[in-house]
Amino acid sequence: MSVRAVKNKGPITKTTWKKALTRDWHLYLMLLFPITMVFMFNYAAYPGLRMVLLDYKPAHGYEGSAYVGLATFAKVFRDADFHRALKNSIVFNLLDLLVSFPVPIVLALMLNELRLAKFKKISQTVLYLPHFLSWVIIGSVAYQLFKPSSGIVNVLLVKSGIVDSGIPFLTEKNHWAVTYLLIGVWQGMGWGSILYLAAITGISGELYEAAMIDGASRLQRIWHVTLPGIRSTIVILLIMNLGKIMGSNYERLDVFDNTQVRDYQYQLAIYIFENGLGNAKFSMATAVGLFQSMVGLMLVLISDRFAKALGEDGLL
Amino acid sequence: MKKLLTYAIMLAMLLTLMPVMASAEATDWEPFAENVTITIPVYDRGQAGIPNVEDNYWTQWIQENFGNKYNITVKYVAIPRSDVMNKYSMLAAADDLPTVLMEYDYPKVTQWAADGYLQTFDMELFAETAPTYYNRMVANNQLTYTKINGETYFAAAYRPYYDTAYTFQNFVRMDWLREVGYDYVPVTREDYLDAMLAIKDAGIAEYPAGGEMITGVGSDQNYSYRTWPLDEAEWAMYGDYNIPSLGWYPNYELLKYENYKYNAGLTNPEYYLTTSEDAKSAFINGEIYQYGGYISASMDWLTAFYEANPDAELAIVPVNGKIDAEAGTYPGYRTDNPFGMMVGFNKDATKDQLTAAWMYMEWLTQEENLFTFQWGIEGENFNYNEEGLPVTVSDYNGECKMGVNNNKDYWCITIEARQAGTIEDVITANLPHDLPQDFTEDVIAWYYDKVAVRDAGWAIANALYSVSMAAEGEFQTKLTSLYKEYRDKLTMCPEDEFDALYEQYAKEYAEAGYAAVTEERLAAYEAGSSTHMLNQTAEEVDLSK
Repeated sequence: MSVRAVKNKGPITKTTWKKALTRDWHLYLMLLFPITMVFMFNYAAYPGLRMVLLDYKPAHGYEGSAYVGLATFAKVFRDADFHRALKNSIVFNLLDLLVSFPVPIVLALMLNELRLAKFKKISQTVLYLPHFLSWVIIGSVAYQLFKPSSGIVNVLLVKSGIVDSGIPFLTEKNHWAVTYLLIGVWQGMGWGSILYLAAITGISGELYEAAMIDGASRLQRIWHVTLPGIRSTIVILLIMNLGKIMGSNYERLDVFDNTQVRDYQYQLAIYIFENGLGNAKFSMATAVGLFQSMVGLMLVLISDRFAKALGEDGLL
Repeated sequence: MKKLLTYAIMLAMLLTLMPVMASAEATDWEPFAENVTITIPVYDRGQAGIPNVEDNYWTQWIQENFGNKYNITVKYVAIPRSDVMNKYSMLAAADDLPTVLMEYDYPKVTQWAADGYLQTFDMELFAETAPTYYNRMVANNQLTYTKINGETYFAAAYRPYYDTAYTFQNFVRMDWLREVGYDYVPVTREDYLDAMLAIKDAGIAEYPAGGEMITGVGSDQNYSYRTWPLDEAEWAMYGDYNIPSLGWYPNYELLKYENYKYNAGLTNPEYYLTTSEDAKSAFINGEIYQYGGYISASMDWLTAFYEANPDAELAIVPVNGKIDAEAGTYPGYRTDNPFGMMVGFNKDATKDQLTAAWMYMEWLTQEENLFTFQWGIEGENFNYNEEGLPVTVSDYNGECKMGVNNNKDYWCITIEARQAGTIEDVITANLPHDLPQDFTEDVIAWYYDKVAVRDAGWAIANALYSVSMAAEGEFQTKLTSLYKEYRDKLTMCPEDEFDALYEQYAKEYAEAGYAAVTEERLAAYEAGSSTHMLNQTAEEVDLSK
């Protein structure tokens, strides 16, 4: 049973650009705004990337700063701190992918099975909410909950006799890693499930009916109808997430910062901020940022090819 | 001898009067033929309830009383207090640096000079436009700090009482001390530890010593752990306060003491998660023995403390004049820099803009202008008391509401403190008088004790370098960040592991850039490009009078 079999092909019509523009000019006009935004914020800064080849000093500008070729890259790649940050970033992003990626899928499947419409809506809203909380708020609440001796969770655990002394959820590096990842899951799972829910809505009801007539149980329907129905969405999102393996969220790392967890918390965003922006070494910050983007792009391209080789639609 | 004394008194009077003599003709300026715009930086401290720092009653007051008179447009640009260097970098990148660039920290301003943000200028021209300001620099021996590599880059604002600063005071629970048998505030380490353990044992506080996370710059000052006489080359290499000196013996002593307090259960085990605000709340809630802050006419945290603890008795921590060789502590303390703001000028500022900026600095230095800017409008921001001294209306919230700390972030371009007569008058004006306890007499006595310790030669000024220090700029952020990590691990490790761990971290710290920093400082010191240590002593000061 496959969803791919029921692609609806309409009559083939020929539309020229001119025709399309005359007919839908107002739509294109609306499109102009987001395109301008994307151009301004994603491409207009590209000429600034040349500062990776310069010893960029803000007061001297691009023309007045000395040309140093690839020396900045060489310096960064030799820096022990960079290696530490790189290793942590890769490990944590892989773990994040492993933990955070499947949860929204499972959640979407579960939400989809809810039959009480009101309960479903309330659940969805409650699950989306954490996405709208800033990391600063999440961080401070997390510390209030998880401090080793005065955090509410530990106070309850100790008072109820479950543990003898508080668990260092955020103050010992291994515990920190687990807490950090799980808070990430909690924050993103609701929002991440939206795309899957949308994809599930697109699955034809006839398929479910056919499956039910064939005697498929609820779990079998999820496994044989719903999951294959959203497979291409899963693949696309996986490819996009693979591109973030080199990425690093400064806010999230910063709010969970404390001196006991630097061994894991020191990731590329922190490295860029402390060594680059914090010290006005813009060339260095740009070099690391560019490196992250290039690796991310390569990962997206490779995984896209790989997905296509497996017969999926892919991203590009 | 008598003649010499007469000459000395005459000279002193002349020096005191010079600024006043000059001020009579200082503002005889002609208005500019064409309007000149100058931009002045002002700290944005992100505090609630403070008027917009770039446009408020007082910026308009400057424009009306100074700008319009000389055809100058005075604009202000907000500089986030916690992100100064970044903000200036952004402004420089956008080619939008203000006319004036100013900062308290010498390494920062020398960095600006090295990065080409600033222009050099002719100090004689400055003196012609701003004679009061200039003469005050001369009278206070500040000209030596205005040059980098022999070129004049800065004018230096005045910092009264820079080596006997009394404005930061530590308050302690005297009632707790009395409960455990102390009728005085402990100063030596032995007394302090004894009192803290007694307070803990008596169940008054779980972690009386409290503690809070360190913030980086200025943390873990080790002046009182330095043995005397101090070696000047070592002082030049490690004696700084911007980069903590992990690996130097006073730092070792300090951290060993922190480690001891932690393991003795005096320090809160969550201290490294405790912000200064958390510590303040803990003090207000009666959980810790001590909290310190800058004094002012309105100290909201003291008011809150007395509301929460109406029967409590506080005392201020006295000045230490004792040598405790066994514990390795001395009365040594850090003095402030002998200047306030170091004021430099944008590399692209025109001659007219430069002159206008100098006029602004001079105009604000004029007594009547400065007084209004510091105290506000009579009947609104302040009133005169029976002795004829101004007293700030601490809860004023009207149209002429001033910026943080009585407009300090504006008038800091010329001076660092409000002036109001004698030191007794100044201290009286800068303390709250509506609390259950009044600390005026205590702080005045504290000030004179500090003067006695200073006069005995215990004041330590940090080395300043007249060359730009590349390694400091390169490694400072990295080292301060690394230091936070290491010092907390050292504080919390078991006592018997401390020495080995200290040695290991000191080595790693040196390799991470501290060795490069200290070598660079030593080279500058040996080349004669640094200031020198003040006279020092090893005599105890008797403050028991």
